[in-house]
Amino acid sequence: MKTYTRPVTGTWWTRNGFYRWYMFRELSCVFITLYAFILLAGLYRLGQGPEAFLAWQAALASPASLAFHVVALVLVIYHSWTWFKIMPKTMPRLPVPDGAIVAGGVIAVIAVSAAFLWTALG
Amino acid sequence: MQVVQADVVVVGAGGAGLRAAIAAAEGDPKLRVALVSKVLPMRSHTVAAEGGAAGVTRDDDSLDSHFNDTVSGGDWLCDQDVVEYFVAHCHPELVQLEHWGCPWSRKDDGSVNTRFFGGMSVQRTWFAADRSGFHILHTLFQTSLKYPQIKRYDEFFCVDLIVDDGRVRGVLLIEIATGEMVFIESSAVVLATGGAGRVFRQNTNAGTVTGDGMGLAFRHGAPLRDMEFMQWHPTCLPGTGILMTEACRGEGAILVNKDGYRYLQDYGLGPVDPWPRAKAMELGPRDRLSQAFWHELQKGRTIETPQGPAVHLDLRHLGAKKIHERLPLISEAAKTFMGVDTVKEPIPVCPAVHYTMGGTYTNVRCETPLAGLYAAGECASVGIHGANRLGSNSLVEIVVFGRVAGESAADYARSARATQSVQAMAEASAASFNALLKNDQGERLATLRDEMRDAMETGVGIYRTADGMRAACHKLAQLRERYRRGVKLDDRARAFNTEWLGAIELGFMLEVAEALAHSALARRESRGAHMRLDGYEQRDDENFLKHTLAHRAGDGVPRIDYQPVTITKSQPRARHYGGAGKQAVMT
Amino acid sequence: MRSIVLECLRYDPETDAAPRWQNYDVPFTDDMSVLQGLQYIKDHLDGSLTFRWSCRMAICGSCGAMLNGEPRLGCENFLRDYYPGPLRVEPLNHFPIVRDLAIDQSDFLAKLESVKPYIIGEPPKGPYRQTPRQMEEYYQYSQCINCLLCYAACPQYGLNEKFTGPAALALLHRYNADSRDQGKRERMPVINQEDGVWGCTLVGYCSEVCPKGVDPARAVNQNKIESAKDYFFRFFRR
Repeated sequence: MKTYTRPVTGTWWTRNGFYRWYMFRELSCVFITLYAFILLAGLYRLGQGPEAFLAWQAALASPASLAFHVVALVLVIYHSWTWFKIMPKTMPRLPVPDGAIVAGGVIAVIAVSAAFLWTALG
Repeated sequence: MQVVQADVVVVGAGGAGLRAAIAAAEGDPKLRVALVSKVLPMRSHTVAAEGGAAGVTRDDDSLDSHFNDTVSGGDWLCDQDVVEYFVAHCHPELVQLEHWGCPWSRKDDGSVNTRFFGGMSVQRTWFAADRSGFHILHTLFQTSLKYPQIKRYDEFFCVDLIVDDGRVRGVLLIEIATGEMVFIESSAVVLATGGAGRVFRQNTNAGTVTGDGMGLAFRHGAPLRDMEFMQWHPTCLPGTGILMTEACRGEGAILVNKDGYRYLQDYGLGPVDPWPRAKAMELGPRDRLSQAFWHELQKGRTIETPQGPAVHLDLRHLGAKKIHERLPLISEAAKTFMGVDTVKEPIPVCPAVHYTMGGTYTNVRCETPLAGLYAAGECASVGIHGANRLGSNSLVEIVVFGRVAGESAADYARSARATQSVQAMAEASAASFNALLKNDQGERLATLRDEMRDAMETGVGIYRTADGMRAACHKLAQLRERYRRGVKLDDRARAFNTEWLGAIELGFMLEVAEALAHSALARRESRGAHMRLDGYEQRDDENFLKHTLAHRAGDGVPRIDYQPVTITKSQPRARHYGGAGKQAVMT
Repeated sequence: MRSIVLECLRYDPETDAAPRWQNYDVPFTDDMSVLQGLQYIKDHLDGSLTFRWSCRMAICGSCGAMLNGEPRLGCENFLRDYYPGPLRVEPLNHFPIVRDLAIDQSDFLAKLESVKPYIIGEPPKGPYRQTPRQMEEYYQYSQCINCLLCYAACPQYGLNEKFTGPAALALLHRYNADSRDQGKRERMPVINQEDGVWGCTLVGYCSEVCPKGVDPARAVNQNKIESAKDYFFRFFRR
């Protein structure tokens, strides 16, 4: 039986909105990884003494770094949102409705973030 | 052409075909079973059946009760010895399906639930929500994957039986994807190809239900029995004919006309209260309900919809919870196809052709008069439905007699002798089907097909007259002649040519339709689903308590003769529904 | 009467090197489905247009196609919703084309068979007992009509045809979750393989397009926990 196989190209994800948002979700992981490296760098610099740590902090205040952090923040928020949104799909049926699981996760993130901010700023 | 060997060939992989194949394979691990289907098994029309499958289950039920309901439901045209066999084997087959994983709906204690169905005295219908056929089919198909002896020929179209010297020698198939012919040599063939409802214009049936197996048997001398008895299901969506299951009424739904009046009480099915009540009002048999619609239409009491006249099937009093739990599929369909929310509005419904009571004649062992040819399911007339089938007897029929056919065919195959090759016969037959591809003149397929369907709808409908039926017979003879002169296809390719297959299906349909129309004309009485308005309005047991047999007579009209009905325990009497009774406890 | 143009992807293996487009002008009424539009073309305009169909009521799974790039069932989607059009009709993505809108389903059938989709274990004498609560554990996964829209949706299947795929894995889970079945052990190798549940990156489009609410994404991803448990506890099994 002769058949024709349509090739799948690298731009498959541009075909519809669902795919594009999926790739955006995956892209957010890249920024989360980069942010993790920055934090690790900070930890390393902390180990090297107070001047090294202060230098790292100063570097964080540069315009390029601020721009990166704004983008990273948006992506982390999107990532957290999609993380909790798909979390029910990874679990067996629970006595709690799916919406409650998602809401619970989102509220927890907001609560923990608020607590950190309050500690950091207060 | 490719030639293959098999011990048993099953044509059709719906409920009956799959059950037959499994039965043949279970009996003998070395048996070569070929399962042929023109569509993937899970596309077979069994998938659309909704209501349920009957079997004596409750303590307050009995085989005698199921027997009596079936025989009276069939207006005493049933072969009672076969019905006795049937009712005794329903429950074990339903349990077998359950063991194989069928998700029958349950009571709170985990035992299988049963519900009321039209014409049944006691709740004995096992159901899987309102998708019983879907679940039965998928259960059977997935279970069949356990048997390596079953070799599937998915999307192979059976165009002919090869018969030599009165014995079946095999089947000729078209491999749909390539258009190539394949000959499977076998001494035992089981037809499980379903009904022929597509010969009518408005029907609940899938596009595949074109009477292929009936046509195959008919062409080789096996008669078609009781073809005049076509069942109109009373509650279908107007236009598309999409089925609104009888289970709605089994759960307590009511039918009202344009005045909001429960009109069935005017047709011998009342009184209205108490409701619900077995075998009364909306739980009456299908033929009576469809006929009541026709009368309401004549009286101008039906509702006009853009798709045609209808009455209202009202589920609202059942409540959202029950509707979503027991009737989810039809609720979705009502929403999708008619924009109706069943919780808030009644559904417009009208009768549409649904089931073919008649078919290839077989005995209780599923043997046709042609040696080596067996049949089971809707394509067969084994003798249990008579002049009108009760709902939920068919989904259980396919497994009871599917098993019988598979076992009978396997037994026969084991005792068959090898004889000389008949490949030449297969080649000759193949040539005639290939020729269809090459016609350079002729009419469009759709033209002939639509004219046939309109003629049947008009001339051989719910109520029939001699003039109407004669006109239909005449028209069908003309159509068969026009078909012989040629169908001109747009599609000349061999690979996956569904227009070619449609032309072959039309050939089968025209022959089956003609057998149907002539059988109807010859039956000068009214019984069950065959109702006349031309002086033969009554049942005539003296002259017509017999089966109709339609035999092919070359290119001429079918020859009609008769066969006695086997009566054992139940003497024919008047058919009563409605009347007084206790209110039923719904489960 | 209004009309809409259907742009159909055609392919005849005997004469075409590659698929090509063909347009048809279809007059329609408000209640006509896309499938009925295709039938109109076949009956009155071009009998060679080839497509699968059967039940017309979204239960047989035959009539799946890409409608304006989305996997849909032709029988339950309506021409009025695509007006003024044109409506692009293509065969389901990620499957080889046999002819026009008819795709090669054999890979799916092989995957279906590979998950051992039947009750494994010795049955009791009468029916098993199964409470409604127990049935809820698997019932939604038993609704699959094998329409293949989820495979057309799944980009992982599109990129790697060895991935077992949403419907097959959902059916596997349906049997594992059925209280009557004892075949979970036997099905673990299918779950655990690289092209089993681990081929899924939870895009989730499969569950989005499923016309029956099966939620294959959930069936697949719950089993990642099962697979991990199976891996880490394998030394405790005897």
